[in-house]
Amino acid sequence: MELFLQTAIAGLLLGGVYALISIGLSLIFGVVRIINFAHGELVMLGMFATYWLWRGFGLDPYLSILIVAPLMFGVGVLIQRTVLQPILSSSAIMKIFATVGLSLVLQNLALYLWGGNYRSVRVAYSTATIKIGGAAVSVPRLVAFAVALVLVAMLFVVLKRTMLGSALRAVAEDRDTAALLGLGVSSLYLVTFGIGAALAGIAGALLMPFTSATPTIGVGYTLIAFVVVVLGGMGNTLGALLGGLLIGVVETLAGTYIDPQLPHVVVFGLFIVVLLIRPRGLFGLGRGTEEVGLR
Amino acid sequence: MTRFGKVGAGVFAVLVVLAVPYLGFSEFVLHNLVLIMLYVGLASAWNIPAYGGQLSLGHAAFFGLGAYASTLLFLHKDLSPWFGMLAAIGVALVAALLMSVPLLRLRGPFFTLATLAMVEVIHRLAIYLRSLTRGSEGLTIPFKTGWAYLSFTSRAPYYYLALGLATITVLASWLIRRSRLGYHLRAAAVDEEAVTALGVKLVRLQVAALLVSAALTSLFGVFFAQYVYVIDPDTVFSSTQFSIQPALAGIIGGMGTVAGPVIGAVLLTPLGELLRSSLSGSQQGLSFLIYGLVLIAVVRLLPGGIVSGARNVSGRLVRRRQSGQPASGPARSVGVGIGKEDA
Repeated sequence: MELFLQTAIAGLLLGGVYALISIGLSLIFGVVRIINFAHGELVMLGMFATYWLWRGFGLDPYLSILIVAPLMFGVGVLIQRTVLQPILSSSAIMKIFATVGLSLVLQNLALYLWGGNYRSVRVAYSTATIKIGGAAVSVPRLVAFAVALVLVAMLFVVLKRTMLGSALRAVAEDRDTAALLGLGVSSLYLVTFGIGAALAGIAGALLMPFTSATPTIGVGYTLIAFVVVVLGGMGNTLGALLGGLLIGVVETLAGTYIDPQLPHVVVFGLFIVVLLIRPRGLFGLGRGTEEVGLR
Repeated sequence: MTRFGKVGAGVFAVLVVLAVPYLGFSEFVLHNLVLIMLYVGLASAWNIPAYGGQLSLGHAAFFGLGAYASTLLFLHKDLSPWFGMLAAIGVALVAALLMSVPLLRLRGPFFTLATLAMVEVIHRLAIYLRSLTRGSEGLTIPFKTGWAYLSFTSRAPYYYLALGLATITVLASWLIRRSRLGYHLRAAAVDEEAVTALGVKLVRLQVAALLVSAALTSLFGVFFAQYVYVIDPDTVFSSTQFSIQPALAGIIGGMGTVAGPVIGAVLLTPLGELLRSSLSGSQQGLSFLIYGLVLIAVVRLLPGGIVSGARNVSGRLVRRRQSGQPASGPARSVGVGIGKEDA
């Protein structure tokens, strides 16, 4: 029972990071209408940026967020500007090709620059735990969870309460009308992709104290984020948060109780079962799903 | 060219292709030709669901399952890979039916992501089920040579085997494209709602296309196992090599046309091999990096692939000749590379 509780908590905490990654993917989908197949690679870049900042300058992974976030925002803006903006009027299939190409480029660039080894950050608190209600809880996971939740809440407030948020929601709702009303749609796209990339990068930094980075790690995160947003209901921010937590718990429990090799198998199995019995996702669909998404 | 000239040229081309192993090419060249045939077949098979606009990145699953099905039967039941091919088709059909579950529910990018996830699941299972697959160690084909066992000490028979399989696949792709199924699928790629409104049971057709494509792909998995002798999960279930690379050939050549995947594979495979053999160690990633850049560039500059690009150029030339003045404006086709006429 104690092991179960401990595992479930560890999974829940990891799920917070999954939620952060997925909400970025969901935001980009909602506003720019692009499924970013390279989203996991953005997490991977965030992990490597954190690693090199630690390795080169001894910078603490959490402090490095202050550099990684704007850096990845820039990377996101650059990607949107150079790769995606020119093909916005192309078909959905063309957009898939472009982001698949992007993920190949980023993955293999990382492989070329940094090799295929696993890189991990060694910090004093990597293996630290604190007792909460009898269960030993990993400190870096707890921090990752807390930071992720704060960021999700901040994004929520920004979307609901600020001018930028209203503009983004307007574009998500109806791009043409928003443009008619004088909103700079393409700059809003840049900002959106930047925010999505920054969130992915921060997630990478938060993962680093308890996860090893390798160039091919991104694919797993892309797929998990995809499962989360489909389960949570595409374009549904709260759904993505709950979906992320759920997948974190399921994955970690499966890894402990079934086999450490199999968590992904269980997650994707669960996903297919949900598709069969509740194709609209567990928490209902958001806007824009009909355009490229679900039946 | 006269009709007689055309037939003559065709016969000559076929004779050359058949005579290749005896023209004194080096092992390296023959190996590359075998790989080209492999990818011509894989890309053409991948392209069949693409007629209907279904973009799969899960074909490595059918490929790897084919390789494992035949190798396991060969190892444990001493069954020739000829029977292995039947088993491979069976297993691939079951997997394709499983993959149809998301196909019934998901559209566009979500279907693609689901296919990617499926390879991931089967790949992990192949590593996990050690008692059956010996995990990451992999399996070695028993050493029994001859046509009965589809395993040879020279490259020439492999060349003919690959040529035969590739020919069957391209032929199947051509027949399907011209069939009722093909027309419905291609219409659906342009306007799904209109086709459904006409009373076409679209999902059934998409499932059918996926089944055929999966069966053909699994045959190349059997061939690959026989060709390389040792298979392991990381190789035969490699998304990059057997899902993305055939897709890339199809996309670059022209998705949804018969000639596109063939042209794409013929151009891309030697390029990839050349890059890989000239690069070493950590530089290996560069070949896929270049693939990625090519993909991004094709989407931007030649969205219909080489075939539709060439068609546009020739179309413009013809128009220019007919009207006697330069044609105006670029006739760039956008979309899936579904041409107005048959390829």
